[in-house]
Amino acid sequence: MTIETIILTILALPLAGALINGVFGKMLPKSIVGSLATLVMFGAFALAVTGFFHLHEAKTVHLYSFLNFEDFKLNFSLQIDALSIWMTLIITGVGSLIHLFSMGYMHDDKGYYKFFTYLNMFVFAMLILVLGSNYFMLFFGWEGVGICSYLLIGFHYSDEQKGLLNSVAARKAFIMNRVGDLGLLIGLFLLLAQFGTLEYSELADKILVQKINPSTWMMFGITLCLFIGAMGKSAQIPLFTWLPDAMAGPTPVSALIHAATMVTAGIFLVVRSNFLFELAPMTQDIMLYVGLATSLVSAFIAMRQNDIKKVLAYSTVSQLGFIFVSLGMGGYVAAMFHVTTHAFFKALLFLGSGSVIHAMHHEQDIRQMGGLRKYIPITHITFLIGTLAIAGFPFLSGFFSKDEILAHALHHNPVIYALLAFSALLTAIYMFRLYFVVFFGSFRGTEEQRHHLHESPLNMTLPLIVLAVLSVIGGALNIPALFGEKIAHWMGHFLEHTTAGLANVEAIHLPDSQTMMLMITASVVTLAALVISYIFYVKKSSIPVSDSQQSGLAKLSANKLYFDEIYNVLFVKPTEWLSRFAYNFVEITLLNRIVYGFASLVGKSGEIVRKWQSGVVSSYILWMVFGIVGLIVYYFIYQLK
Amino acid sequence: MELLLIPLAFTLISLFVPKQTLKYLALTGAAASLVAGIIHLVSYCSCTNFVTIFNPGIATMFGLTLKMGYDGMALVMILLTNAIIPLIVLSNFDKEIGSNRKFVAMVFLMQFALLGVFTALDGLLFYVFWEITLIPVFLIALWFGAAERKKALMKFFIYTFVGSLGMLAALMTIKVYSASFAYEDLVAAQFSAKTAYWIMGGFFLAFAIKIPLFPFHTWQPETYTISPMGGTMLLSALMLKMAFFGMIRWMIPLAPEALDGWLCIGITMALIGIVYAAIMAIKQEDIKRIFALASISHVGLIAAGVLLWNKDSLSAVFLQMINHSLVAVGLFLAAGILEDRTNTRNLYELGGVAKLAPKFGFWFAVIGFASVSVPFSSGFIGEFLLLKELYSYQWIIGLVAGTTLVFGAVYTLRAYQLSMFGAPKLTEFRDLSWNEWAVFFIIGILVLALGLFPQYIFNLVGPSIDHLMETVNSSQIILN
Repeated sequence: MTIETIILTILALPLAGALINGVFGKMLPKSIVGSLATLVMFGAFALAVTGFFHLHEAKTVHLYSFLNFEDFKLNFSLQIDALSIWMTLIITGVGSLIHLFSMGYMHDDKGYYKFFTYLNMFVFAMLILVLGSNYFMLFFGWEGVGICSYLLIGFHYSDEQKGLLNSVAARKAFIMNRVGDLGLLIGLFLLLAQFGTLEYSELADKILVQKINPSTWMMFGITLCLFIGAMGKSAQIPLFTWLPDAMAGPTPVSALIHAATMVTAGIFLVVRSNFLFELAPMTQDIMLYVGLATSLVSAFIAMRQNDIKKVLAYSTVSQLGFIFVSLGMGGYVAAMFHVTTHAFFKALLFLGSGSVIHAMHHEQDIRQMGGLRKYIPITHITFLIGTLAIAGFPFLSGFFSKDEILAHALHHNPVIYALLAFSALLTAIYMFRLYFVVFFGSFRGTEEQRHHLHESPLNMTLPLIVLAVLSVIGGALNIPALFGEKIAHWMGHFLEHTTAGLANVEAIHLPDSQTMMLMITASVVTLAALVISYIFYVKKSSIPVSDSQQSGLAKLSANKLYFDEIYNVLFVKPTEWLSRFAYNFVEITLLNRIVYGFASLVGKSGEIVRKWQSGVVSSYILWMVFGIVGLIVYYFIYQLK
Repeated sequence: MELLLIPLAFTLISLFVPKQTLKYLALTGAAASLVAGIIHLVSYCSCTNFVTIFNPGIATMFGLTLKMGYDGMALVMILLTNAIIPLIVLSNFDKEIGSNRKFVAMVFLMQFALLGVFTALDGLLFYVFWEITLIPVFLIALWFGAAERKKALMKFFIYTFVGSLGMLAALMTIKVYSASFAYEDLVAAQFSAKTAYWIMGGFFLAFAIKIPLFPFHTWQPETYTISPMGGTMLLSALMLKMAFFGMIRWMIPLAPEALDGWLCIGITMALIGIVYAAIMAIKQEDIKRIFALASISHVGLIAAGVLLWNKDSLSAVFLQMINHSLVAVGLFLAAGILEDRTNTRNLYELGGVAKLAPKFGFWFAVIGFASVSVPFSSGFIGEFLLLKELYSYQWIIGLVAGTTLVFGAVYTLRAYQLSMFGAPKLTEFRDLSWNEWAVFFIIGILVLALGLFPQYIFNLVGPSIDHLMETVNSSQIILN
């Protein structure tokens, strides 16, 4: 098989799965529906692996043109290079494990076939996003994943209590993303106006080879618009509040869409556009500080959340912020590295939380849990591994990927390094807090819940085990030079085969002593966090108090820094007010009054005219005839002259 | 010529056919027109400029020539009309109104007049057909409309009458400088810049009211709301498209030198309409009014595209017109279904319908997404192009118009969510009947097909747009 066929088949498989399940799913038994959706994913993953080994050079596969104008084209074409293959591997790999997990998790759900249809559809859109060879294709997939995300967040829309709330969360996600999309769209218009094309390879050629250098302000505008798009999709301040709410969706959705894949689309966008961002240092700085702020703010909020999924959601936002810091410093490989390891351990943690929720009979409040390690051992061990990985425990995947970003920060500016390290410390603390509160101490739930407690079936625990293994060894993908030149930076070298740019971005090289120092600091930070959390939540076995009893900083954290309330006052309320004002005052009072005023004016101006305005049909037709007759008479007179 | 004769014949036949067979007759007639349209499409060749379908060859009194014909642009409109009419018939198929003699006759009369508007190559003829279209929509609303229809129709009438007067005055003025009402004579007519300004102004008034553009829009939400479903579909899916077509075929080519003078005013009106209507739609409770306001917002963008007057924007205008028609039929069908089965249009009295009627829930969602122009839908590319053109005209205008992306999502999702999601407030809700399902299905397929292959439409209208641009440019060169 040529690489073109492989890539096309990868795209076709989830689409076929979605179509078959969408049309016939209702008639098919659940086992077939689930297996089909999962099998197409594993098939796609197998092909992606084959494609990975067949990849020799970057290629563009042109299928057809959406439109073909004289001044520009919009192509449906695919870009096959290291970056797109890498993303494909993550999407299909983690995706297939999550599909497998969902077969167990969603087993009793009435919308089983719909769920898998949406999930396959999502994967298809996500693949379009990463495989497209131009920004238009990216936008195509970008909006596509947005819809699937909307459908899946509001999946339980008819739930008696939470139905409407779920759909509100879904709508919030869609609308906030649309704000970002508008930014992205304008970025595309600017690119088109400036370069006349949206193809990555042509743009890179124009900038890197032909050295067309637009003004700094133009590049600033373009990249800022792209970054606004990325803010929406990747949940950065100020467009981040949708992601925690998106946890209303079923847990596998949170794992796949809102942790491992879709939310990294913004990062992918920036990495893809690295040659643009390199020309816009101002945007890079903005990206850096936005990322840093997001990372700290959401880590702070995560400290006092009591919903197991909310903690993980804020943690995701925080990690994404971390990655944006890296992008802001030009650390594209480091960013992709962390995207990869984050996909492993965050998917693991979400699926683990899903397993916990499953065992707890849909309880998500960690205050109702406790001591679960005895009841669900596999979930416990894998969750522990995930926690250690994200906390940056020495030699697990998160340790290496975080360290690389920290190395960039140290190289860039020590203050940023310190702040990032602090954010990492917070991450470790709230993750261990979560782990200890859920799995240690004594069980605090109801008797009924205790009775239900059970380990999940194999199709749920198997993905956990695989992801746990990946979370442990994932760091080997891109270890620092300290461990030997030959095996080091494997991923960095691989990604150099990306169309446009990545090879041109200079890698940073820290001396071995500094690398050592970084690693030791990181390990100390993690261990300190572990000890603090252990003392506080296990030795003292303190349980998080209810939100109303919080005070000071803890209260701020528990209330999510009042972001939702502030947005409500700043944006939602004024828009609603404006809407009412526009309709009640401008439309009804003002414009309508003018129209009726005009009508009565005409009415008063003559008895005959008023009769014609009576609204009677015959009079109306008479008017029309009058018009035509008038015209005829006019021309008779004109001809006679 | 059979294009016009078929609907005219069916208008008459439907008056004499027994009631039980009427709906089948209506479907047959609509299908016959569609087939006739497709035959014209298959045999169409962009090599000639206008395909003549009627030309008596004699100059009658006062310059009336009665010439009729079509080019690529008109052909798209003909096909659109002939495709939408069957959908409207099908939407009303199992309703009482679908078997009503007056309704069926008026639908065919509308089709006849619309096709006349799109094929007229004579100014006076265009005006006459333009006026005839008012009769069916007016009568349908009057006979079958909601209780509070009188006042709304009065407003509708005043507006359109004023608009028609403007167009009539413009036509009469231009005739002074032209040998006949034939299209080529009118285009070739030479007059001063000031005259041109007022000629365009007269046309613009008529078209701005019909589209409608802010601030001439206040008839629209009320007329749409009080009209029965079929009437609203005729108004939104077809009648307003005459105005865009009129701008492209008549208003700008007849007085191109005046475009600069009106461009700024026109774009401003369109832009205000886009944002203003979208904002108003956000807090409405009447689902039909939301869609009516959404329509004002969407057509504002199309109008701006027409005024920008370049090949890319005009191509996008045609794609977006088709998209708007398809989506409008879908949305008003959905609103009609909700109103029909629950006797309310108030969003807060609806809720949870998706659970009771999953098929309806699915197709309503498809149309809803198409109306917010998601990828794979025809609106996606049309909106992308129009916003791009606006953006390259004036970046701030593109940005403001772009907010429709956000607002559109807000009001559409709100309308869908409040009516379809949550716990059901009703005990039962009849799911789609076969004919309703068929309408949604056809719209869905067409929206998807055009979303993936919009180039087909561009190829169809492209040569005609080129030709139009050439004609307009050359007439302007003579003037200078």
